[in-house]
Amino acid sequence: MAEKISVKVCLGTTCFVMGSSNLQELIETVPAKYGDKVEVSGVPCLGLCSIDWEFSKAPYVKVDDEVIKEATVEKVLSAIDAHLNK
Amino acid sequence: MFIDIDCSQMKKYNQNAFGDYFISKRYPDEAKLIAVLSDGLGSGIKANILSCMTATMLLKFIEGDQIPISKAAEIIMNSLPVCKVRHISYSTFSAIEVDDEGNAKIVEEGNPEFIWIRNGEVMRPEYKSIPSKTFKNRCLKVYKLKLELGDRLITCSDGVTQAGLGGGRLKLGLRREGLIILIQDKLKEQPDISSTELSKYLINQARNIETDRLPKDDISCSVIYFREPRKALVFTGPPYHQQKDKEYAELFANFKGKKAIAGGTTANLISRELNRSITMDTTISIGKLPSCSYMDGVDLVTEGILTLTKTLEYLENGTMDIDNAAGKLVKFLLDSDCIYFMVGAKLNQAHYDPALPIEIEIRKNIIKKMACILREKYFKKVNIHYM
Repeated sequence: MAEKISVKVCLGTTCFVMGSSNLQELIETVPAKYGDKVEVSGVPCLGLCSIDWEFSKAPYVKVDDEVIKEATVEKVLSAIDAHLNK
Repeated sequence: MFIDIDCSQMKKYNQNAFGDYFISKRYPDEAKLIAVLSDGLGSGIKANILSCMTATMLLKFIEGDQIPISKAAEIIMNSLPVCKVRHISYSTFSAIEVDDEGNAKIVEEGNPEFIWIRNGEVMRPEYKSIPSKTFKNRCLKVYKLKLELGDRLITCSDGVTQAGLGGGRLKLGLRREGLIILIQDKLKEQPDISSTELSKYLINQARNIETDRLPKDDISCSVIYFREPRKALVFTGPPYHQQKDKEYAELFANFKGKKAIAGGTTANLISRELNRSITMDTTISIGKLPSCSYMDGVDLVTEGILTLTKTLEYLENGTMDIDNAAGKLVKFLLDSDCIYFMVGAKLNQAHYDPALPIEIEIRKNIIKKMACILREKYFKKVNIHYM
């Protein structure tokens, strides 16, 4: 069986106020949709806003190694789908 | 030694102001503390004004350090006017000046005699009487004590010792003897009880023996407890010079006491330098704050600025027992006596993007305000180290 896809939602200050608080619903909806093929967790900080700040693309989510900028629930779900179909 | 001090109060029933006034201030440079409890004549607003004036003036007098505490108290005793109606002094007071070594000077006029407890026993200290030259019925008691680790001093207004007066079971009220029994029994049950809890317990007991549980006078009880300090460290923000990360992470690791981290980047830094993994709480964050994370050897890991801002708000408003990261940080801070803040000066530019929907304050400012309120409202010892 293939390895689980890991989804990390950044819950650092910038991402949190820019909308990752709403992305927390993924913690519940993703396992309901994909079962144990995908693992979702919050992380204290992905450290991306301090590198990328001039362009301010928070909130950030990582699906395996892919960084999703200005993440929304839809963007994350389609990224998960893309990774599953690889 | 650390001086754990607190005072709990209750108003006389049907009154909307406290007639007793308690004030306490720490002087970190001189490693000392001054506390004053004053009972104003009568009750309500009038008593409040009288006791507040007496207590604050006495504190100012003593802290000036130009005259000894006994002289300051004597001047106040001789100057307090006499109530035209009752022909007695406008207010009574107890004041204590104590240093970290346990050297205490206490003055009392009119208030019930303080209670000194060592190993569960009541100590009987000697005192010097200074009768008032202007008023026959006033007499100052001056004590000099050497306190030891574990000692407690309990000072109260006569609302405590006279609680239940004229009522059913205790015709003469609780009195000093009754109060001593309450204290000793509680200390047997909880030898390490904090000053906050003991003072709350005592005023509640005093209220409970009043007829209909309605205080017939203002009730105040202050407790001083000499103990080993409970130390806590809050590490927040990455150091300005990145090459110092390791050094500071090791300082954090070697700290003896409780530890908290406030900040996602900071948590990652400690995790990297000390090679300890972080796991995030899987529950969805409640309200507007990110939830906590966990790391071995660290008591609390939270997000940074938002949580600190909320924590400051809770501390200012006295909001307790909130089940979120800031509520946990409040409890962490209030369960400690000496609090050290290690504050990283590095700024994250992204926080100052005007596109961010809320105002985010500079970390240094939040910590400065927090230190101030922890010192002044919660009587904590606070040290800040910028890095």
